[in-house]
Amino acid sequence: MRRIDRAKRRILRQAVQDNVATLRGLPPPGLALARPRWKGLLLAASPLLVPGVLVVMALVWASTVGDSAAPAAGNAPAATTPIHQVPPGAVEREPGKPSGSPLESLGAANPDLRLPHPALLDPATLALDVRRIVLDPGHGGDDFGTTGPMGLVEKELTLDVALRTAELLGARGFEVFLTRDGDTSLPLDRRAGVANAMGGDVLVSIHVNWIPNRRARGVETYWLGPTDDPFIKELAAAENRFSGYSLADFRRLLEGIYAGVRKDESRRLAEAVQAELYRSLARLNPALQDRGVKTAPFLVLVATEMPAILAEVSCLSNDEEARLLATGKYRRHIAEALTAGIVAYAQQRAAVARLEGSSQTYE
Amino acid sequence: MSEKKNVIHVGIDLGTSRSAVSASNGQRHIVDSYVGWPVDMVARKIVKRPVLIGREALDNRSMLDLHRPLERGLLKEGSEKDQEAVRQLLVHLLELAGLGEAARGNAHVRAVVGVPAEALRVNKQQLRTAFSGLVDALLIVTEPFAVAYGIEALLHAMVIDIGAGTTDLCVMKGRYPTEDDQRTLLNAGDWVDEQLERLIAARYPEASISPFMVREWKERYSFVGEPHASVLVNAPVNGKPTELDITDALRAACEGLVPPIAETMLDLVARMDPEYQEKVRHNIVVAGGSAAIRGLDVALSAALQEVGGGVVRTVEDPMFAGSDGGLAIAADAPDADWEKLVV
Repeated sequence: MRRIDRAKRRILRQAVQDNVATLRGLPPPGLALARPRWKGLLLAASPLLVPGVLVVMALVWASTVGDSAAPAAGNAPAATTPIHQVPPGAVEREPGKPSGSPLESLGAANPDLRLPHPALLDPATLALDVRRIVLDPGHGGDDFGTTGPMGLVEKELTLDVALRTAELLGARGFEVFLTRDGDTSLPLDRRAGVANAMGGDVLVSIHVNWIPNRRARGVETYWLGPTDDPFIKELAAAENRFSGYSLADFRRLLEGIYAGVRKDESRRLAEAVQAELYRSLARLNPALQDRGVKTAPFLVLVATEMPAILAEVSCLSNDEEARLLATGKYRRHIAEALTAGIVAYAQQRAAVARLEGSSQTYE
Repeated sequence: MSEKKNVIHVGIDLGTSRSAVSASNGQRHIVDSYVGWPVDMVARKIVKRPVLIGREALDNRSMLDLHRPLERGLLKEGSEKDQEAVRQLLVHLLELAGLGEAARGNAHVRAVVGVPAEALRVNKQQLRTAFSGLVDALLIVTEPFAVAYGIEALLHAMVIDIGAGTTDLCVMKGRYPTEDDQRTLLNAGDWVDEQLERLIAARYPEASISPFMVREWKERYSFVGEPHASVLVNAPVNGKPTELDITDALRAACEGLVPPIAETMLDLVARMDPEYQEKVRHNIVVAGGSAAIRGLDVALSAALQEVGGGVVRTVEDPMFAGSDGGLAIAADAPDADWEKLVV
């Protein structure tokens, strides 16, 4: 039997570990997802956090209906105040009538308090942190996405960037989920379903662009909304091909597009990510264009219940960007930029949360 | 006590242009990475085979649906025919090495295959699928690492593996190379072919030349620096066989490889710990099919002058350096590790 020195044995072991990671669909050794450090803290603090959030929500609701009888934060019996509690005497549900929402009950009992529409709630008021990130590597399996001049395939690039981003976010203390971690087909409805089931605080769908003008290159980030731009319509139609939705879902999807509950947060997230993508990548790619933050009806963004964006992180139609995308260095920069954008957004949210008494921060 | 297995190790360099196999039973072979199927019944009757591989496929290409299933050192995607072509190529390589399904009997085949340094994870997974049923266990490593292992240049060394599809550079630091230790360039043999074809077409616009002719000329005459003699080739011009002088075109095309490789080589050296940079500069090895370009190692050595000098040498057997290195890795990897790599 061959005698093998210790250095060779160590190197071979590393090579095998790298292969085993590929077999299991894990990041290479050294890229393992970090365990979220906040999880234990969150569980330990939940008896305090949950009532605290409920108190804030009750205060917001009370201020919305303009009721001066709502208890001040300092005096509230925090641990026992439920979200739907209304001022004493204002609401008495009639026996036999079905219970509705607090606002419905309020209007039925006292027409003077009926409001034309509840004001849209600014999530910032609720001091909600960003802790759980869902990354969605675009395409996969039979759906190749776009292909580049050098044999590069969008589904591979998006997965590679997503794995790198997951590792970086994990190291920053976030809990990260991927809608896919291998070369698997996943219709858009299931991607949204996964994100919802994971209880993600934000969803970032990662894609690579293809622009008919082959000289064009750049980054752009989308959040949910209608568009009149024919190019964006075409792009959305292409990305929505494998939707998994039927006509029966049409109404719900339309409501999702126009409801606007998540609009502001999605826009803020898109702005933060776009700014970092452009700032970071322009250093390696001086001709990069900032194609901006835009709205488009991408279905993967419609059915999610959290702020969601779709980032086109490069243009595979441009030869120079394709050449850059072929290098691990550039893909790593993309992952770093996405991470920086998400962290910047989380820090905005954390700043609000700190004002409301939460202590969660990120490095 | 478990029954002792009859294990055969094999190293494979799956190249865009040529693939090499080295096996522990002593077999070593090189095959052109082309696979072709007869286009119709007539062609099938003439070639007398359902599928042709390697040089045979190239020689009969006019009658074949010819596929080159690897692109830039990676498996092509999107076509079932290309996937089938990869499989046929692997079957052929293993048959040449005496490890075909019928010949291998109950032997346990463990293979190491090299891929470009920046191959994506998904492509590695597809490669595993392509090998399924052909070998018992598979270890995928980067091409320059396989070369480095084979020549025992594992510490303070750099390997430049110039293939047809990619040029892979890897600095060895006594560990399995990480992403930061490696670079992949698309300036390689195919790129030289493209430049050469373009330059010849510019000088002799009436000449009728094909990519296969260009590739053959490059492989026979390629050089960097001063020519030993004029490079004269024959090609039809308006249907008439004509002698063309391609000396300048060939030199320009080959020398086009030097700046990107030199720049990347210097960048990798500069990123090393300063105390080891000189050692690495004096231990740079060129391998791969395009390492045969005469004078390339000298030109790269010259590029090191601006940072204090160094030595670039070409490995003894550039065509087999990757597969021989793969074979050495396969032989050294412990049984317990192979158990984890079953395909």
